[in-house]
Amino acid sequence: MRNDIRMLRDTAELSQGQLAEAMSVSRQTINSIETGRYTPSLPLAMALARFFDRAVEEIFHGDDDA
Amino acid sequence: METTMHRVFRSRWWMPTFSVALGVAILVAAWAGGDPAFGVFGLGLMTALGAVFLLGGRSETLSGLGGPGRDERWEAIDLRATAGTGLVLICVVIGTWLWEIGHGHDGSPYSQLGAIAGVTYVVAVAILRWRS
Repeated sequence: MRNDIRMLRDTAELSQGQLAEAMSVSRQTINSIETGRYTPSLPLAMALARFFDRAVEEIFHGDDDA
Repeated sequence: METTMHRVFRSRWWMPTFSVALGVAILVAAWAGGDPAFGVFGLGLMTALGAVFLLGGRSETLSGLGGPGRDERWEAIDLRATAGTGLVLICVVIGTWLWEIGHGHDGSPYSQLGAIAGVTYVVAVAILRWRS
């Protein structure tokens, strides 16, 4: 599943470690999400969306989305 | 939501404490079995393992195995690794059981281990289906 976490994090000028700390996950987990190797749980996806003040579907995109 | 169990398993002291406790259990069992030297070796080995987890530094694998790095991604990794380990173990038990009965033995203890695994799996599936 593709996502815009890296772009949003860069825009907010946050490091992976800072975002990880805010989400109570490891830095490696944030990296895995950004690279699409790990799809977060719904609670974590919602927490990320809330953190960036977006809707979940604005951040996460299914592979068949335009 | 983080539960008490989560907090325990994510403590940096969880795996070192578990390792040393297992080492003590090995020592007691070996001592009772008349081989204290093996027990001392086992305790030393498990204590060293606990120290590796405690002083593992920045390794994500050690941090995840040891406790502090256990976030939801790690729990997913742990679940899949546990399932894979169980599958290998079951295959070995069944294979060894067939080997044993093929050589004229009664298959013990592999028949009992296989039965326990089979019943546990079916009960677990039934409970998890009921709860979901």
